[in-house]
Amino acid sequence: MSPSMSRVADHGHGGTESARSARTALVMALVVASAVLAGCKKSSEDNTVSVLYAGSLATAMENGLGAAFTKDTGQAYKGEAQGSLGGARMIHDHLRTPDVFISADPTVNETVLMGDKNQNLVSWYATMASSQLVLAYNPKSQFADKFQAAAANTIPWYEVLQMPGVRFGRGDPTIDPKGYRTLFLFDLAGKHYQKPEIPRLLGDTMNPAQVFPEIVLLARVETGQFDAGIFYRHEVVAHHLPYVTLPPEINLGYPKFAEFYAQATYKLASGEQVKGAPIIFTITIPKTASHPAAAEAFVRFMLSSPKLLEGFGFGTIEHQVAGDRAQMPADLRRLAPETYRQ
Amino acid sequence: MRFPRPTFLVFGVLGGVLLLSLVLPIVNLFVQADWAGWMKALQERGAGDALAVSALSSAIAVTIMTVLGVPLGYLLARGRFLFTQICIGLVFLPMVVPDLAGGILLLQTFGPHGTIGGPAAGVGFELTNNLAGIVLAQLFVSAPFVVVSALAAFAGVDPKLEMAAATLGDSQWHVFWRISVPLAWPGIAAGITLAWIRALGEFGATLIVAYNPHTLPVYMWVKFESDGLTGALPVAFLLVLLAGAAVVISTLLSRLSGYRDTAAVLGDTHGRPT
Repeated sequence: MSPSMSRVADHGHGGTESARSARTALVMALVVASAVLAGCKKSSEDNTVSVLYAGSLATAMENGLGAAFTKDTGQAYKGEAQGSLGGARMIHDHLRTPDVFISADPTVNETVLMGDKNQNLVSWYATMASSQLVLAYNPKSQFADKFQAAAANTIPWYEVLQMPGVRFGRGDPTIDPKGYRTLFLFDLAGKHYQKPEIPRLLGDTMNPAQVFPEIVLLARVETGQFDAGIFYRHEVVAHHLPYVTLPPEINLGYPKFAEFYAQATYKLASGEQVKGAPIIFTITIPKTASHPAAAEAFVRFMLSSPKLLEGFGFGTIEHQVAGDRAQMPADLRRLAPETYRQ
Repeated sequence: MRFPRPTFLVFGVLGGVLLLSLVLPIVNLFVQADWAGWMKALQERGAGDALAVSALSSAIAVTIMTVLGVPLGYLLARGRFLFTQICIGLVFLPMVVPDLAGGILLLQTFGPHGTIGGPAAGVGFELTNNLAGIVLAQLFVSAPFVVVSALAAFAGVDPKLEMAAATLGDSQWHVFWRISVPLAWPGIAAGITLAWIRALGEFGATLIVAYNPHTLPVYMWVKFESDGLTGALPVAFLLVLLAGAAVVISTLLSRLSGYRDTAAVLGDTHGRPT
């Protein structure tokens, strides 16, 4: 074999080798790419309903309602908790396209999702359930016996909060409807008991010693770092915390006291004024939903399971519809015959 | 004409895909920038306050973790103790604990009824929901960077150099300050810079331990919750700028290798291909 021949043979050998490894790399790259694409692909047969819901519902949704829906309909469920306002903003900014949106405040639908200024992302919503504010406490708190006495109505709840050393927390009014609802609660309590010192327990509206995001506040009371906090009843039922029930005139849980509630007001950063109103959770199907049939099934399930919702600490209400009733699936319209007016 | 090596071609494509997916979101931020609106948003009082809180708390945290973390790194690099390996493992722990979990652990320890926070509150010192809480959260998540980089940097200093200095009559302190620290400094400094930017960006643990006063990341979250993207993007932009600055500083520092110069003077080629 001549030297040049041998070089050609060597070269040929090396060429096969590198071609083989290049092929291997190419195959691997293709496998990775197809796996990624398969993961992103929206299957038309997939009818998992995706629900974006108010953060306070997290435990009820993930530990009960979602599974109950799957059991009842055979359809899969996936949920995501966000602040009502934050979640609505995400839909508005096209960061999320859930099939169903559940808000802790009807006004969020109106201001962030409905109308031409919001591309009519939502054209109707139905009232789903009510809830009420309660004073939950840590059972190991050094003041636990006092809270227990308040729960049994032997001492007024606000007197426990006035005791030196009691630490209690509340939601942030700038990001969470529960935050300003707590301001309403104390304002109304001052009027109801005719004790102007009650609202003063809060200090500044943004009092840094009391104000926390929902999830952080719950962690603080559950770990015993705070003695008590103002929560929705369905939250503390889900977290198994003991609580003091507050009078219907101030707990924002009863539509019949709507007029009394409306005396309390709070001005949002946007300049908009919000009034005290019954705590009502609303449910809707945004225009951007990718599984309308699954969405409809989920809304139907939620509007027709009052006993189930009661078990999670919610109050049952007559379902009502706000916005353009004609846009609502006919099947759902029957479940909510009344019209909702704020 | 020379063709690039096939390995380079394939790796270039694979690596390029990753690089692109890392860089695109940041490029996108700048492409969609609303400069006038952002500048206005960043002049809001809340933004200025959050920047001040973040700057002050991260400066304190970085000072503390340097003073306490560099000696620990040296000890772990040079000491031959029974528990050295366990200690190194413990240092890594906070780096792998999720932020939110870290926040809850900190709260149980330093909260107003916590193991340490309780007695501290008893004598009038609150350790959460104030600057102290922010510094604690930042220490927890970013001090490991300082310790680990100091450990690696000291381990890279040839013990023969330290021994040579010692045989020439330098005291142990002298050897540490005049040989070990200067040689290890570029690595330590790069670690401190990374720790600083990690502290500045800390969100999960801070949210739980100290919601107030808002740091920049907490402020960004609050704006995202209340005003959506328009509220959050200006703050995100500011944080990206700060992070970018830290990456540049860190890269520069690790290039300024004091070790190379000193080693050349001493005629040492340890660990370097010639």
